[in-house]
Amino acid sequence: MGLKILTVDDSKTIRMIVKKAFRPYDCQIVEGENGVEGLALASKEKPDLIILDITMPVMNGAEMLSKMKEEPDLKNIPVIMLTAEAGKDNVMKIVQMGVKDYMVKPFKGEQLIERVTKIMPLSEKKAEAPAEEESSKYFNLDGDIQLLAVPSKILRPTIVDVESQLKPKLKEMSSGGIKKMILDLSKITETNVSLIKLIITILDNCQLAGVKVLTVASASLGKELKEFQETGNIPIHFSIDDAKAAF
Amino acid sequence: MELATFDLPIFLRGATREVFDTMLSMELNEQDTLSLADGSRIVGSVSLAGSVSGTVNIHVSDTFAAQITANMLGMEIDEIESDEEVHDVIGELSNMIGGDLKSRLCDAGFICELSIPSITSGRDFNIESKGWAVKESVCFQYQDHIALIEAFIKNGG
Repeated sequence: MGLKILTVDDSKTIRMIVKKAFRPYDCQIVEGENGVEGLALASKEKPDLIILDITMPVMNGAEMLSKMKEEPDLKNIPVIMLTAEAGKDNVMKIVQMGVKDYMVKPFKGEQLIERVTKIMPLSEKKAEAPAEEESSKYFNLDGDIQLLAVPSKILRPTIVDVESQLKPKLKEMSSGGIKKMILDLSKITETNVSLIKLIITILDNCQLAGVKVLTVASASLGKELKEFQETGNIPIHFSIDDAKAAF
Repeated sequence: MELATFDLPIFLRGATREVFDTMLSMELNEQDTLSLADGSRIVGSVSLAGSVSGTVNIHVSDTFAAQITANMLGMEIDEIESDEEVHDVIGELSNMIGGDLKSRLCDAGFICELSIPSITSGRDFNIESKGWAVKESVCFQYQDHIALIEAFIKNGG
């Protein structure tokens, strides 16, 4: 099992940069927006490492660190501090707090990884085919129809994840003679650009593979999809049974 | 050290170039004139308070802000999901540039604290800042885009 890393920063930007830096490695990233959230997550998740910003609202990084040092369960978790301030006094203060290391912003993801590997080894993710259980996260075969159910909220990583599993699944379907798919959007609670991109990606890939796709969505989502140029012409079915009958 | 001898022009230019280069892979060219294109723009600001007080503002057009956000997050502009992402990135840039300036001031004996960034956005507005002991404004160009960086400092209360 990989490392669990807690990143605590009020800036979503920095948390995304940290997450991106660790993407090639076998790590689970947990995020907190301030010291209060960070402390709660540290207690609950017991991370192997904390990447901690100093300047944050609600509770800053220095306060969170001093509270961690009072907790027997948390005091030995290594911490790398992030700071926008490289001044001598600030650096001295950080060092005296008992952190393992610190990084001054601006920084590149590679520099962060370099610091982390001085504290603990990172193992690269294995580039293997998705495991059956991972693949079945989205796909489910129902007779001669492949169901593809997507989660309630689509973010950029979801597109990458679904696309990486869709391509081998389409090959598998082709060799098994399966030519029908139902794209199930009924769990979707939020319409965003990533959702539209995901739908287009799925439809394009299926068209190339010669697979017919029918889409299932709630009435409200169906109405929203009609308003987008890219999805305006997609026929929407309101239940899996309706879609099956339409085949 | 007198605040008037603090080399604000050098530090502000150095910090801005370093932040844009490291975080955005953008090499900036300094402009001779101070000018921003008309239209919507975003200003990221941080304040300094202590034995000196001050403020640092970064003005960029909406289109440049979107380009900066895409570069910072390693994505395409059309993948930006909300204004919140753009505001967060511009705020973080002002935090980094302001943080560098704060460190230089503290190292020079002017102890101060840095605020959390704030964002102002809109069109056809001016930010006038008066009563400062030392001020510097500089415009940088990146491709067709302009960034105006301003810093103002004075002795604290």
